[in-house]
Amino acid sequence: MTIRMMRAQGGGFAALLLMLLLWAFALPLHAAERPAGSSAADQAERQVERPLNNAPVWRAVRSGEAHTTNVRGPEAGVLIQSEGNTWRQLRNGPITQYGGWLLILVPSAIVLFWLVKGTIRLHQPRTGRLMKRFSAFERFIHWGTAITFLVLAVTGLAILFGKHVLLPIFGHGVLAALLDVGKTVHNYVGPAFGVFVVLMILTFLRDNVWQAIDAVWIRRAGGVLDGSHVPSGRFNFGEKTWFWIGVTFLGLAVVISGLILDFPNIGEWTRSDMQTANIVHAIGAILLLGLSFGHIYMGTLGVEGAYESMKTGYVDETWAKEHHEIWYQDIKAGKSGHP
Amino acid sequence: MSRHPLKRLPVLVLAGVLSAGLSACGEVPQVTVYEQGQYRGKTDTRPWEDSEFKGDRAAWEKALKQRARNQSEYNRIQ
Amino acid sequence: MGRMKFLCDAERCIECNGCVTACKNEHEVPWGVNRRRVVTMNDGVPGERSISVACMHCSDAPCMAVCPTDCFYKTEDGVVLHDKDKCIGCGYCFFACPFGAPQFPNGQAAFGARGKMDKCTFCAGGPEETGSQAEYDKYGSNRLAQGKLPLCAEMCSTKALLAGDANVVADIFRERVLRRGTGAEVWGWDAAYGGGEQKRERKREGQS
Repeated sequence: MTIRMMRAQGGGFAALLLMLLLWAFALPLHAAERPAGSSAADQAERQVERPLNNAPVWRAVRSGEAHTTNVRGPEAGVLIQSEGNTWRQLRNGPITQYGGWLLILVPSAIVLFWLVKGTIRLHQPRTGRLMKRFSAFERFIHWGTAITFLVLAVTGLAILFGKHVLLPIFGHGVLAALLDVGKTVHNYVGPAFGVFVVLMILTFLRDNVWQAIDAVWIRRAGGVLDGSHVPSGRFNFGEKTWFWIGVTFLGLAVVISGLILDFPNIGEWTRSDMQTANIVHAIGAILLLGLSFGHIYMGTLGVEGAYESMKTGYVDETWAKEHHEIWYQDIKAGKSGHP
Repeated sequence: MSRHPLKRLPVLVLAGVLSAGLSACGEVPQVTVYEQGQYRGKTDTRPWEDSEFKGDRAAWEKALKQRARNQSEYNRIQ
Repeated sequence: MGRMKFLCDAERCIECNGCVTACKNEHEVPWGVNRRRVVTMNDGVPGERSISVACMHCSDAPCMAVCPTDCFYKTEDGVVLHDKDKCIGCGYCFFACPFGAPQFPNGQAAFGARGKMDKCTFCAGGPEETGSQAEYDKYGSNRLAQGKLPLCAEMCSTKALLAGDANVVADIFRERVLRRGTGAEVWGWDAAYGGGEQKRERKREGQS
C-alpha cells in the first residue's frame, strides 16, 4: 500500500514537472514557421510570372524570421514579432489578476486559520535538555536563502504590481526611483539566491527523500484536521512537500528563468525565449511566494519552538518528541538522525 | 468524514478548478486609450506651445500639413 | 489635427539607409542605438523588397501597457513618447514591441544593466523644455515644435518613407497606387494602428 502510494507520488511529481515544461513551451511565444510560398525561390518565380504581384514578400513580412539588415542589434532583421502581444496579454491579464488575488487570499486564509486554530503549543512541559537540530552551515544556508528571497520578493512584487498599488499612492517620481533601485537590487541579488537555492537543495536533499512513514502523515493530513500526533523523521511530509515543490521545483524554475532574463540576449536567446522565461518566472515566483507564506507561518506563529530551532540550531527534547518522534528516537539511540 | 481526508481531495480540486474557470468571466479587454492630460507623470508642452508658434495651433497645423503634402512629388511637378 | 503616422512604401524603398543615417545624425543617438533600420526581404533575389522600420507610434501601444513605471505617454497627435528619467531599463517594452523599436545604449549588458531605453520620438523630443539642451541630450531634436516633420521621411530620396498626418499620408499613397496600379500594401499599419479589437475599442471610446 505504502510503496504503491510512494510510487504514485513520485510519478505524479514527474508528471507535474513534465506538464509544466510542456506547457511553457506550448505558450504561443515562439516565432511562427515561415509560411509556405514565401521563399526566395517563390519570389524569383513570381517575379517572372506576375511581376506586379509580390505576395511571397508580404507573406514573409509577418513570419517573424530574420531578414537582411545593415543595422546591428538583437533581432534587428525581424520586421514584426507577434509574440510580444501574447506575452503582454498573459502578463497584464491573468498573471497580474489571478496572481494578485492569490497573494491576497493566501495570507488572509492563513490569518483566518491562525485565529481559529491558534499556535500549536507543546503539550508537555519543556525538559530543559536541548538537542541539536540544525548545524551552523545549515542555518547559514537557510537564512541566506530566506533573506535573499524576501529582498527578491519585495522588489519583484514592486515591478509587477507597483503600477497598480504604489503609483496611485506615491506618484510617478517615487515609483520610478523605487523601481530603479529595486530592479538593480533584484538583478544582482537574484544570482546569489540561485547559489543559495542550489546549496540548500544539496544540503537538505538527504533528509527530504520520501519514506514509507510519510504515508501515515498523508492519510491523517498531518494531524491538522483531528489534532492527532503523527510521528515523522527529521522532516515530516509537509516539510518535504515544501522542499520538493517549493525549494527544488519552483526555486530552480525561478532561478533558471531569472538568469535568462538577467543576461538579456547573451548566448542565442531571443525575445520569445525571454518572454517565455518571464511568464515562467512570474508564475513560479507567485506560487513560490504563496507557498512561502505557509512555510513562514509554520516556522514562526504556527508552531511553538519552530523559530528557535532555526535561530539557535537547538530544540528542546519535548519539542523533538512531539513533532519529530522518529528523529528523536534515532538521536536517542545514538544514530545520526538522517534517514 | 475526517477518517478519510483523502476523499475530500477530488472535491476540493474540482471546486478549485470550477472557481478558477468561473473567474475567467472577469477578464476584461486590455486595449488602453491614452489621452493627453490623463497622464499623471511629467507633463510635456504641446508642440505648438512654447516654440516659434507661440500657442498658435492653427498655424502649426497648417505648416505641418503643408510639409506633409510636399512629400508627394506629384504636387511639385504639376 | 488628426494623427501622426509613418508609412513605408516598399515599392519605392531602395535600401539606401539614408533614413538611418539622417536619424543618427539629427539626434546624436548613442553608439549601438539605431532608432530606425532598413530590413530587406529576400535580399539579392529578383523582386526583393526593403522596408524602413522604426517606432510606429501604435494606437494601442504594447510598450505603454507593459512599462512597470508607466513612463510612456501619448501626445494629442498620437505620438508615443517616454520619460527617460523614469525609465529603469527593464526591457519589457522591447519584449512587447512588435517592431523591435526600443533600443538600449548598453546593449546586451550582464545583470540586465541595459541603460535607459531610447526610441524614435517622431522628432517630437520628450518631456523636457521644448528646444532645451536637456531635451536634445536625452531625446534628440524637436522638429515637430518647429513645424517640421521627421527628418527620415523628409529627406527620403525616393519618398518611400512618408510621415505626417494620417489623412495626408494616406492620400499621397492612394494617389501613388492609382497611378502605378500596384503595390497597395501598407506595411505594418495593421499591427500598429490595429484592426479587430483595437478598432472596436476606439469606436466604443468615441474616437475615429
